[in-house]
Amino acid sequence: MTSLKDILSPFTAWKNVILEPVTIKDPINDRPGAARYRGFHKNDITKCIGCGTCEDICENEAIDMVPVEGIETKDGDSGLRPKIDYGRCCWCALCVDVCTTNSLSMSNEYKWIDTDPDNFRFIPGVDKKSWDDNEAGWKKPEPNYEFYGLKRAEMGELHPEERDHSFIEFIKGYSKQQAQEEADRCVECGICTATCPAHMGIPDYIRAIRNDDIEEGLRVLYETNPLPEICGRICTHKCESVCSIGHKGEPLSIRWLKRYIADQVESEHYKKILETENLVKNGKKVAIIGAGPSGLSAAYYLSLLGYECTIFEKLPEAGGMMRYGIPEYRLPYDQIDKDINYILSLGVEIRYNVNIGSDITLDQLHLDYDAVFAGTGLHLGRSTRIDGSDHENVYQSIELLRKITLGEEIHVAEKIVVIGGGNVAMDITRSLARLQKIKYGKVQTLATSLETEDKMPADREEVVEAREEGAIIDPGWAPQSIEIVDGKVKGLHVTQCLSLFDATGAFNPQCNLDNKKFFEADMVVESIGQGMDLGYISENIKDNLTMGPRGRIQVDKYFQTSLPWLFLGGDIIQGPDVIHGIANGHQAARGIDNYLNAKG
Amino acid sequence: MEQLINKLQKSFKLSDVKHQRENLTFVTVKKDSALDLVTHCRDYEGFSHFVLLSCVDWIEDGKFQLTYLLNNPSGKFDLGIRTFISRDNASMTSAHLLWRQIATYQRELKEMYGIDFPGSPRVDESFILEGWDEIPPMRREFDTKKYSEDTYFPREGRGSNDPATYMKSKLYPDDEK
Repeated sequence: MTSLKDILSPFTAWKNVILEPVTIKDPINDRPGAARYRGFHKNDITKCIGCGTCEDICENEAIDMVPVEGIETKDGDSGLRPKIDYGRCCWCALCVDVCTTNSLSMSNEYKWIDTDPDNFRFIPGVDKKSWDDNEAGWKKPEPNYEFYGLKRAEMGELHPEERDHSFIEFIKGYSKQQAQEEADRCVECGICTATCPAHMGIPDYIRAIRNDDIEEGLRVLYETNPLPEICGRICTHKCESVCSIGHKGEPLSIRWLKRYIADQVESEHYKKILETENLVKNGKKVAIIGAGPSGLSAAYYLSLLGYECTIFEKLPEAGGMMRYGIPEYRLPYDQIDKDINYILSLGVEIRYNVNIGSDITLDQLHLDYDAVFAGTGLHLGRSTRIDGSDHENVYQSIELLRKITLGEEIHVAEKIVVIGGGNVAMDITRSLARLQKIKYGKVQTLATSLETEDKMPADREEVVEAREEGAIIDPGWAPQSIEIVDGKVKGLHVTQCLSLFDATGAFNPQCNLDNKKFFEADMVVESIGQGMDLGYISENIKDNLTMGPRGRIQVDKYFQTSLPWLFLGGDIIQGPDVIHGIANGHQAARGIDNYLNAKG
Repeated sequence: MEQLINKLQKSFKLSDVKHQRENLTFVTVKKDSALDLVTHCRDYEGFSHFVLLSCVDWIEDGKFQLTYLLNNPSGKFDLGIRTFISRDNASMTSAHLLWRQIATYQRELKEMYGIDFPGSPRVDESFILEGWDEIPPMRREFDTKKYSEDTYFPREGRGSNDPATYMKSKLYPDDEK
């Protein structure tokens, strides 16, 4: 509404007409801005990831994040770029100073005349300007001028000599101060959310830590992930690989922050915080095969929707690969139990030591339940099938890891070679190194892989920590044969691996046969991947399933097979990792709900 | 410059001496001695040219930082004299008698930060914000964004995207979260 002041204000300026001018006449020569002048923006759009931090900090709302033709939205890059409205920009340079990639800067150009006001809105770096190549102008001063810490809050952990002879958890977890310090580094851009297979609300739970609102943090975690204690320890944390802070410093410790939240809340408070004290049953029953991440996730989200869930588990305890594949020093059993017990407290039943196929058939489950979800995982070890691999002292990593969890004694030789470069290979390497330390007082375990060090699929910290614990990691070698002399394993012959894939992208390792090595060992462990056992699916059911590429059973986006009552997920469909399993289970729960609601 | 600073140290309690570059040094003094030091530098150390007077709002500390930037034309170097004053009822002795033009800076600081300089000519007159009736806009508690939203109409054609939401629409639109 126009006020009297609005009408009168312009006239107050007239009083200046009679004052003596304080400006002087000077011909307009070319007067460049000072070297650090804050003029029109520049943006290196190849470095920019469209995190929007510039937009967030802008006090004047001068920046819009807009799509740009030719810039693709992908992991770690939103595909958006900042468009600046110079009708609002006050040239403060906060956007430059906060930029996570240092892509944004300011030229020292401050003069530009145009008759069209809309031209004063443009996308620096995309809409070409005369000052794009100006070297002078404002750039964020380096180093030691950051709005957020570039270093991670330090995580307490046991020293190698304290941990290399036991299976106790060696990552201590964050204190409140450390967690808040770490959370403070987050710019809440949300770039990480797309990369997380479960699309967790990462910025939201990090904000909850910053606000010291742990209950809210737990609620955010459980929206997409019912296994936070587990994922807070062993998630493959793909989110961290795209963290915008990681462009200049160390990415946020997202995984440890998740663990911090779950660690703070006692089990008995979960139901109250998550408002699951009075779940109403809907009278429908779902059978779930396998108590691994996908099965547990499906059971959790189905329970929230009122379904009565029964999980059929082949092994004596729940957790699947999380319990029987991941060593205790990374994931203690009591933490697995904490997550699982909460799910059980919602009324989920687990029947242990049940073999589908022999103890009860899938057809029977179909008859007894409204729907079936199977997340049976990859529990069969794959062999290299090289000469000597059928020797009794050549083992599959997955079998050894399972036996260690079951408390069974396993053969531990004095010299061991592990074939494989993934996380499971590192798990068995580090487990065997510990057992060697206990048995012989020294570690003589060596792991080798086809992939060179920079391409090893294992998490970097796994490789580093394995070495800290005394294991040797010697990657880049292709196994040729296992030497057997007088019925005993003597070692592994390898040749240098030059490449893994051919031009079409097919797995086709190429070796330099002139560059050979021999790894002495009296025990060899193969850890080159796992396969699935779908023997529980009878032939008459199989005949009605649509198969996809490479002999896999085809499922839709809800993990529903061509038999509407049967849903498959987890490692047998996508993965292998825990977080994919969790995401699959959640999505399958939605699919089952849709299916059963439609069925009536 | 080092020599000058050592000399000034003997008469004034300088702290936070910062040699920004060869020809620019900043020193900090207590409020009560700030103008004594400015006067001394003008009258005895060759700083005949007053460059500017500026302010920084350290809201967390409850203080404003004033900087008197002086230039020594023969020595071709600058000295920034900094002092801190309380944000509450912010007031500073006027320095307009040292250099006439300081009155203009003081008038600007009154308008932008609300710092009073009693006796400074026209200090209470509007400087550039004619008709302003909000709190001084350079004080950090001033909500620029809110003022902007309340005062100006949105520009046509403007529109932004939240990166996470946009990525979802492009990469996993079917996810039902």
